Amino acid sequence: MEEPSKFERYVYKNASVYHYMKISLVLENGNQNITDAQFKQLIICGLRDLYGEVGASFPFDLLKFDQNELTGILRVYNSGLVKLWSALTLLGSYQNEACAFRVTQVSPFLLALSGNSRELRFGDQLIS
Amino acid sequence: MSVFMDLNIISSNDKNRLKSIIETAAHLGYSTVAINYVVEPQQKKQEIPKPQSVSDIFDKFPIVQGKSSPIKVLNRLTIIASDASHFRPTNEYKSFDLVAVYPKTEKLFHAACMTFDVDIICIAVAEKQPFHFKRAPVNGAIDRGVFFETCYAAAIRDTTMRRYTIANAISLMEVCKGKNIIMSSGAERPLELRGPYDIANLGLVFSLSEGDAKAAVSTNCRAVLLHGETRATASGVVYTMKKPKTPQKQEEESPVSKKCMRCSAHSWCPVLTAT
Repeated sequence: MEEPSKFERYVYKNASVYHYMKISLVLENGNQNITDAQFKQLIICGLRDLYGEVGASFPFDLLKFDQNELTGILRVYNSGLVKLWSALTLLGSYQNEACAFRVTQVSPFLLALSGNSRELRFGDQLIS
Repeated sequence: MSVFMDLNIISSNDKNRLKSIIETAAHLGYSTVAINYVVEPQQKKQEIPKPQSVSDIFDKFPIVQGKSSPIKVLNRLTIIASDASHFRPTNEYKSFDLVAVYPKTEKLFHAACMTFDVDIICIAVAEKQPFHFKRAPVNGAIDRGVFFETCYAAAIRDTTMRRYTIANAISLMEVCKGKNIIMSSGAERPLELRGPYDIANLGLVFSLSEGDAKAAVSTNCRAVLLHGETRATASGVVYTMKKPKTPQKQEEESPVSKKCMRCSAHSWCPVLTAT
């Protein structure tokens, strides 16, 4: 009789250590010249206002930044996601000017940020 | 899962500003918004403003992003009550879809939780809560189906108000264990709105659980809407509906109908007229 083939099953509860966020900054008076360093500094200020020095020193990275659209991709450890996200939500002003962060996508996998199912178009006949 | 709703957009006389706020809300993914008319009856004459019809604002409502249906706009009234006589449900309240009260004293808070005919009780965001929440009235309100509301726009505007908002919200969550909470914007400008998932994440900061935080923006808001609808009914079972007008009969047909239907011989029937 043949031996039954053995299988091994791996179940990952949380495969990724990081979370990636695609965000964009909306300013009241239209576009200004914000460099990537200023963008990151703005986010760190927001973290410091809400969570203090300990929150501001939590490491996160700005992976991509588009200066014309003011959009970027952030990477943060899983434990810091809630803090970073809430700091972005409550950030209200940049240099005495009203602004808002719009979080477009959040995903533990970077590949998921490349396609947005909200902008998916099947074809003209399927759009109701 | 229920759709996302934002039940507090401060109304203003500037129509363009209201239009841009509602367009931003539709773009962010909210399927329903409510325009809030805030009334503070300090003077003797209590003027309840009449809500402007929603079709005045838009000819064609903006489509909610991600769905194909337009955004729904409702009217809501908030009474800032510092005295028990300020809240008197009159007929003018009936023209609003939702009624909310903002109690300023502990006695009013207790009365609002137990007896007032409201849908929403607002929690202070711009100042330190002058009284502590007691478990008894809060549980009474939860049993009755009244919801507590926290607004987050003040937290975006000012850092001092941010502390008050978070402190009041956390003390409320402590008492009510995360039940019957809704979170709404209280936005006066389009840049003060935030997306629904951002607000669900803010609920986590207010020490809600993940399920409760998402429900605060979706399921509980739907429950508030239904509670508001049942206010116009009898215990939510019987309701009145406007009957569509039946077309009037023409003049030539009336002599024909006068003929007796039993025996089409004469115009009046001795049997039927006896009844």
